[in-house]
Amino acid sequence: MDRKKKILIVDDEKGFTSMLQLNLEAMGVYEVRVENKSERALQAALQFQPDIILLDVIMPNMEGPDVANEIKNNQLLKGTPIIFLTATITIDEMEAHNGRIGGHPFVAKPGSLSDLLESIRRNLLTAY
Amino acid sequence: MAFLLSNGKELLMETAIDFGQPLSVLIVEDNNIDRRILESMLKERSDYTGLLKATDTLEKTLHLMDEYEFDVVILDLNLPDSHGEETLLKLTKKNPKVAVVVNTGAYEDRLGLRTLSIGAQDFLVKGKYTAYLLNKVIHYAVERKRFEMELKQAYDKLKETQTQLIHAEKMKVIGALASGVAHEVKNPLATILYGVTYLNETLANGDEKVKTVLYNIKDASNRADRIVTDLLDFARLRQLNKEKQSINHVIEKTLSLIKHELDQKHILVKKNLGADLPMLEIDLHKIEQVLVNIMLNSIHAMKHSGELMLTSEVITLSESIEEIPTLHRLHFTPGQRVVSVSVEDAGSGIPPLALEKIFEPFYTTRRADGGIGLGLCVSRNIMDIHQGSISISNREVRGAIAKLHFKI
Repeated sequence: MDRKKKILIVDDEKGFTSMLQLNLEAMGVYEVRVENKSERALQAALQFQPDIILLDVIMPNMEGPDVANEIKNNQLLKGTPIIFLTATITIDEMEAHNGRIGGHPFVAKPGSLSDLLESIRRNLLTAY
Repeated sequence: MAFLLSNGKELLMETAIDFGQPLSVLIVEDNNIDRRILESMLKERSDYTGLLKATDTLEKTLHLMDEYEFDVVILDLNLPDSHGEETLLKLTKKNPKVAVVVNTGAYEDRLGLRTLSIGAQDFLVKGKYTAYLLNKVIHYAVERKRFEMELKQAYDKLKETQTQLIHAEKMKVIGALASGVAHEVKNPLATILYGVTYLNETLANGDEKVKTVLYNIKDASNRADRIVTDLLDFARLRQLNKEKQSINHVIEKTLSLIKHELDQKHILVKKNLGADLPMLEIDLHKIEQVLVNIMLNSIHAMKHSGELMLTSEVITLSESIEEIPTLHRLHFTPGQRVVSVSVEDAGSGIPPLALEKIFEPFYTTRRADGGIGLGLCVSRNIMDIHQGSISISNREVRGAIAKLHFKI
């Protein structure tokens, strides 16, 4: 059996990350780690070596696109797919941008779990 | 100098001021002698008066004004079919652009003065003027009227600009507010919805009551999300994805989107779509959204069955651009050719109080049915960023009419 895919969630909303972790772990195929402080995201990613990162856009201290840059510029992590999670963009806008911010796909918050799972699945596929 | 001569008046007429273009003049006077005096004074110099017509009733005057374009009307206020200030008011209402010089009877200086405050440019007192004075007065009156019209135009333009600026500023504030609110509300909503999703999977295995509770939480959260999303949509003037489109094609697409609602209420659609309309540079999805909004409003206004009339045509805007609401008037120029789309229903119409507020955010008459009151607001914004216009009014007989205007 394949090993569980590792998902790192970086989002300052503790309630949200906890609910998302519960849902993803309930699938039985993902190992999930949460980091609520965006400035620690790089360190968390280096330790956890995720297969994919779910990244909030607006966070205190360090915003999502800056975290994405750090990860992209890191030799060990640069190939790791990132999906942005954002509460300030509507589904309409997401479609207008062809589902991408700065080259990364994104998913609207709140959105359905199935849409998020589909995006994770698709991005894991293209990463390997 | 002219006045050194004993026959000063004659000299003034001979050598006097070059008034430029001859004027077209209408004399309205029911006293034959007075009329003839005026005519002869005006005919004295052919380069002062071009077209000259005379009549003796208000009714004939209004007809003549339809037929000819006069620069100035010399008006006796007391006619067989109209008296006093009323005569002046009716005349200026007929054509606000024409200069009026009131010809009052002797000892009627007070009345003459009063007419200046209700639209006359000047007044003459019968028997107290010369040909030179008469010609001078009417030329000055025309000039004053021209300045007045220019001033009025500048004022109207200023008013329109001010209305637009206030609107733009309002939108900026709402935009900033909406983004802030969206972020703060959508995050907790995401927590609730993912929580419900998890509980649905793990708890709901048999207990119907738990399922109902979870369903209601989810439903309420989705509704709150929709409100915030609509607010975002409303507030953001997003980039348009403009492409050349046939407006008739957009109308047909919209009809297919609302087919369910049309069938459900047995609404009959009548189309009068112009052939060979020019293609428009528009964002298909956004204009579709506008049409869906106004058509759904029409459908809601009709109880069961009814007729939805759709028209598309090219029209030429009037000189005053009164077809366009003030807010959007700056987008257009007088006499411009535009594509006009109208949606008419035979529904209940719109109460006058509602008509004033119809485009205001969160104004709805259907809150009980889940209306949020952003549909027409969003529609107006969309038309605004297309440099077009939207207006809604009641039809003369029954129901309402929504009109969109697009630049060609």
